[in-house]
Amino acid sequence: MQTDRYLEPHQARQRAPTTFEDLLGDAIERAFAEGAHTLPELVACLNRTGPSSENGQPWTESGFQALMARLGN
Amino acid sequence: MNTITFTKDPVDALLKDGLKNLWYPICPSGFVGERPISLRRLGKKIALWRDAAGTLHALEDHCPHRGAPLSQGMVLGDRLACPYHGVEVRCDGTVTKVPGSPGCKLEGTRAALSFHVQEAWGAIFLYNSDVNIDTPPPMTMPEELNSPEYSHFLCYAEWKGDYRYALDNVMDPMHGTFLHKQSHSMAEGESTATFQIRTTDTGFVFEKTGQRGVNFDWTEWGSTGVHWMRLEIPYPKSGGPGGNFAIVGCATPVDGNTTAVFFWRCRKVSSWQRDTWRFLYRNRLEARHWAVLEQDRIMLEQMEPDANQHENLYQHDIGVVRLRRHLRNLAEEQLEAAAAKAGNPA
Repeated sequence: MQTDRYLEPHQARQRAPTTFEDLLGDAIERAFAEGAHTLPELVACLNRTGPSSENGQPWTESGFQALMARLGN
Repeated sequence: MNTITFTKDPVDALLKDGLKNLWYPICPSGFVGERPISLRRLGKKIALWRDAAGTLHALEDHCPHRGAPLSQGMVLGDRLACPYHGVEVRCDGTVTKVPGSPGCKLEGTRAALSFHVQEAWGAIFLYNSDVNIDTPPPMTMPEELNSPEYSHFLCYAEWKGDYRYALDNVMDPMHGTFLHKQSHSMAEGESTATFQIRTTDTGFVFEKTGQRGVNFDWTEWGSTGVHWMRLEIPYPKSGGPGGNFAIVGCATPVDGNTTAVFFWRCRKVSSWQRDTWRFLYRNRLEARHWAVLEQDRIMLEQMEPDANQHENLYQHDIGVVRLRRHLRNLAEEQLEAAAAKAGNPA
């Protein structure tokens, strides 16, 4: 949208999310909606419903934390 | 020839550009880089620049010689050299050099209006003083921005219209039930409510009686060297741990017909939950929050400038009435103080 003033919908991110990040975002929201609020519950939910982790392996708690620290910090 | 006489209300004239002697956020931190910029804020034009160490400085964007824009000039550390005649002005307002007339009486005088600035929470704050002062008073913001238990993102936008409509909008929680009914987080709760006002140490809370943590149920007004508003909105379950979503907001007048709005979106999260919320905010939540904010912007921008002169307020509006009265009282106090200083009774 072209305007004469600052109206930028995305101010928090540096780039558009990748397909993997889109799928992961949806999956995390789905897990939270199902009540998976602890890290083990969340990781179990991701392993059950996908997507798989970045390297194609099952999610681990440390791997999930490391990825979030990179993408969310 | 017909003439029309306008009587300008001095209180309204003062409020239009924003009360003096307060800190205001004026733009996101990233707006000022290596080159000086000029911003209209608070009824003035302000030149902002950084020195080589990255320290931010601000002067009125008006050379004390002939009024040329200092922001078009050259940065000389903590000074700007006016592009028109090379007059050098230091960040405290002192003219340090007049190259065309060395030794002239302008040199050494504090002839330019300078502003104190500080950067915090992703924004640049400016102290809105009408005269040059050496030390401004401190400012603080609510715990959602100060406590390490919270994480936050700034959302900044520029809206058409008087900033007081933005303040009214935040001081009106009930609009959430109707305007934002289709939003991802405000579909719950009763559509009728009774409100009350509760005084706090720094302002007041306008809140629904008998309903909290269901919808947009309360707004707080605070004055801590800066005027801010605070509210909470429950997140849907898909938003994960961290409790309610908190917003701290400020509205800064630009030029009488534009408002710079600042909304810090805050969540009480730590560790992996903090990182996960921030990931979701960037990739999923920010766009939804933006869509809600756009509903506010579009509604306010479509209101006539004098809409607030033709109102029929009801019980939900006592927060708005309280805030308007409070701001008018502050403006009257400032005008009386200025008149007393000038030796003229108000």
